[in-house]
Amino acid sequence: MLRVFKEAFLGFSRSRTMSFFAIVATIFNLLTLGLFVLVLLNLNALIRRLEDKVEVVVYLKDKADMAAVGIAIEDLSRLEGVDQVRYLSKDEALERFRADLGPDSDLLQDLETNPVPSSLSITMKPGFRDTLHVKQVALEAESLNFVEEVDFGREWLRRMDIFKHVVSVLGAASAAVLSLVAIILISSAIKIAIFSRSKEIFIMKIVGATNGYIRRSFLVEGFFKGALGGAVAAGMIYGISEIFSRKIIQITRFPDEYYLFTVLAGVLMGLAGSWISLGRHLRRV
Amino acid sequence: MIHFKDVSVGYPRHGLVLEGINLHIAKGEFVFLTGPTASGKSTILKLLYQELRPWSGEVIIADLSSRKIKKRKVPYLRRKLGIVFQDFGLLEERTTSENVAYALEVTGVSRSEIRTRVPRTLNTLGLSNKAHCYPHQLSGGEQQRAAIARALVCEPFVLIADEPTGNLDPEISQEIMHILVEINTLGTAVLVATHDYSLLNGREKFRRLHLSGGTLVYDGSVEGFKAPDNFIGRQAGPHQS
Repeated sequence: MLRVFKEAFLGFSRSRTMSFFAIVATIFNLLTLGLFVLVLLNLNALIRRLEDKVEVVVYLKDKADMAAVGIAIEDLSRLEGVDQVRYLSKDEALERFRADLGPDSDLLQDLETNPVPSSLSITMKPGFRDTLHVKQVALEAESLNFVEEVDFGREWLRRMDIFKHVVSVLGAASAAVLSLVAIILISSAIKIAIFSRSKEIFIMKIVGATNGYIRRSFLVEGFFKGALGGAVAAGMIYGISEIFSRKIIQITRFPDEYYLFTVLAGVLMGLAGSWISLGRHLRRV
Repeated sequence: MIHFKDVSVGYPRHGLVLEGINLHIAKGEFVFLTGPTASGKSTILKLLYQELRPWSGEVIIADLSSRKIKKRKVPYLRRKLGIVFQDFGLLEERTTSENVAYALEVTGVSRSEIRTRVPRTLNTLGLSNKAHCYPHQLSGGEQQRAAIARALVCEPFVLIADEPTGNLDPEISQEIMHILVEINTLGTAVLVATHDYSLLNGREKFRRLHLSGGTLVYDGSVEGFKAPDNFIGRQAGPHQS
């Protein structure tokens, strides 16, 4: 049994050209798949960061009754998807406005009265930061009689929704295209493998190797080739994301488990490739 | 040891190729199997190493019958047949020594036994100094000797050679024939299938089986073949020319 392992390991280092091609095909597939997932991860992170800015601002009339406001805050907090409802007094709102203006804040120096209304700042829980849920909250807030105006970034939300939709459609389309490319690459590699190994398999049979022995050595070889391809692809993804993060812009990296999945995917591809390329040969006597 | 009982066989697209073959090869015999190209010589060999099963009749090797042998037992039978081909059939990525060892590796022979048997067999074939060369570094004759060494290292009871000199020039061909005869004198049966009749020169007393049109038309000595009266049965077979 150990001999089969050693045999396959040496065997793959021997048929260099074929092994090389098979491993390169594996690496290419896993690399494109991995980079695709990396892009998706980053897009998701971007969407999340953008969504964090989603906020419903409820501007209150100057003479709003604080008791009513307090009740309203509780009611609004209980709406589906609402995370927090914060009250900003006129002074706090003015400070916030000043902070938002940044260097232009000296424009506010000459004001005699505070024109900035008090407001409620409503933030939504993740997963509820879309037009549907935000609009519900905004409508609820609008119905209150001490509310001057509700601003929920309608245009911003609309664009976000479109963006998310486009990403998911493009994502699905790209995934489909990549899968097709991967399958074509793998089957070409397998066909070439079948072609070039058929002589070797014939000799193995002539010399008296059982089908089991032949299958085992090819599978073990597929295992190692796949693992190597997976490891190299994982390394390349790591390298690319590191270099990108340092030289261009910080990006979200692969979680650690994903590197392991890449190696496992490689092993799976290697095993499947060997199994399929053997299939026809071993059915003949 | 090898019996063909009224064997007929063909290929799906070509139809019948051999018809009513009856032959017997005893232990330790040296037999030439001759006939023009496509007369069915390779088919007879395929029946021997079980790549084909007869459509009718029976092929018996040692005690194993083509009727009863199970597919999974075939590899074990092949280990007792040493087979040599026209194109040598060596694995390009292995050295001579590794190619010969391969036949023992797939049959689960121990490392230590391989370490003794392989050098011994290489020595018999005069390949000791080429043990670490790759096939592309060997001449045609050396490659064929390596193939013979691989066939021999398993100690088969018959060595089957399918056009062993097909890719070799005349002097080397004679060298190879000489080796096969030597092997036979040491006790292994040898069956040489060939359409190169020059190999039979100087071997008049050897046994010859001649195929023509899919039937066995002669079974006797090499020298006896010159006389047409020795033909067995019909002269024309399934393929009438």
